Amino acid sequence: MSRVIFENVGKKYGKMWALREFSARFEPGETVSVIGPNGSGKTTMIKCLLGLVHTTTGTIKVNGELVGPDPKYRHHVGHMPQISRFPNELKIGQLIDLMDDIRGKDQGRAEGPLVHDLGVDAMMDKRLGTLSGGQRQKVSAVLAFRYEPKVIVLDEPTAGLDPLSSEILLKAVRDIKRTGCTVLITSHLMEEVEALADRVAYLQDGALQFLLPPEDILSVTGESRLSKGIPAMLINHTRSHVESL
Amino acid sequence: MWKVYKYTLIDLARNKFVGGWMLLLLAISLGLFQLEDQPVKAMLSLSQVLLALVPLVTSVFSIVYLYDTMEFTELLAVQPLRRSKILGGQMLALGTAMVLGILLGAGIPLMIFLPNGASLTLLLACIMLTLVFVAIGALIAIKNREKARGVGLGLVVWFLFVLVYDAVLLWVMFAFSDYPIEPWIVPLAALDPIDLGRIMVLLKVDLAAMMGYSGAVYEKFFGNLRGILIALVALTAWVAVPASFAFRGFRRKDL
Repeated sequence: MSRVIFENVGKKYGKMWALREFSARFEPGETVSVIGPNGSGKTTMIKCLLGLVHTTTGTIKVNGELVGPDPKYRHHVGHMPQISRFPNELKIGQLIDLMDDIRGKDQGRAEGPLVHDLGVDAMMDKRLGTLSGGQRQKVSAVLAFRYEPKVIVLDEPTAGLDPLSSEILLKAVRDIKRTGCTVLITSHLMEEVEALADRVAYLQDGALQFLLPPEDILSVTGESRLSKGIPAMLINHTRSHVESL
Repeated sequence: MWKVYKYTLIDLARNKFVGGWMLLLLAISLGLFQLEDQPVKAMLSLSQVLLALVPLVTSVFSIVYLYDTMEFTELLAVQPLRRSKILGGQMLALGTAMVLGILLGAGIPLMIFLPNGASLTLLLACIMLTLVFVAIGALIAIKNREKARGVGLGLVVWFLFVLVYDAVLLWVMFAFSDYPIEPWIVPLAALDPIDLGRIMVLLKVDLAAMMGYSGAVYEKFFGNLRGILIALVALTAWVAVPASFAFRGFRRKDL
């Protein structure tokens, strides 16, 4: 059974559809790169999955549980947002304690994936309000990977991270995938997409244009790199759409 | 809910604004008690200041705090937590922090210089007004996406309650003074929480000259103790109604 199922999901803000008739299935142990231009509906799609935004049409299931008012399904979900802001006066250690409390996990602050690798264990007594953007991203990454998620959503995860930390994070993505976790990752960096994605979902104007493995995109377009393959794919897609009219 | 409450309270305890609020209240209270030779007079002056200042500071701070922690609220909302528990924890923590500010800043001087029922009633009125304006602030922050608009709306609401509504009520009373409008004044005064707070305090102080028309009506209709209790019930409704709208709005809100 698929880990994440979107069925005909739509989201309307006022008169504008930010996401239209989005249907897709994401499997266990699969990494899907969600790409598209700014305002294409990527964030809306992710927010619908996380329950931050209420869908106008359709349903979403995570691990067989319906995304709705019952927050139980979120026990299996990890999320690393693009920009994180935390209460200024709390310390990193206290934030981790709070999340452990909420998740009902009784593990030491300094335990768990990425805590040591990203150097977060050395910053436990630092106030969250004093952190740089990159340090906040590290804390976010630790929280996203901490509770053995079955679905992990990473929104531009390496933006703001130094090259070494980016590499550590990407390795963690590959490792967690091997445990059967479904990884949804948005990124504007095609090298990242090429390195990680089993399939690429391309969204434009709120609609899914295609959801294909990178190899298929390259073979259909005859290109050798995704950075060229995806624009070529879009041109083909538009042309065939026009011809079908 | 208690987990969110606890950590929000830790954050608020270190917040400079909350500490500043307490010190400001302490300075005003001590100043007034030092200036006036009669503690009752100082308490009455203090009540005028508190009944105007508490709603203003509480609503503006609640609105600003909830906007500033919006991304953190999003982080909490993707955890296995019901939204009502997130907002409940945050509102309770805001209420606790602001009430503690009042108890330490104004409560201690009041209990030192005038330890009587009137001082306790003033503190009770301030506590209720704090809870009312945390609820109103939360409702405003949830219903408006822009911080500046939210703060502006908070100021407008405060201005309406502290000045405009009173003026309108006074005008109604004068305009219809030939008619038996007293029974109408009871529910009309209850539509302004700040008025309710003022009525509570002045009923206890028992200074008819300072009670104002609506206070006199409350005393006439209900007597002192019953009047205070009725005002307290009305203030509780003033907490419950905006809070329930805030919870409903937050449950349906796209974050």
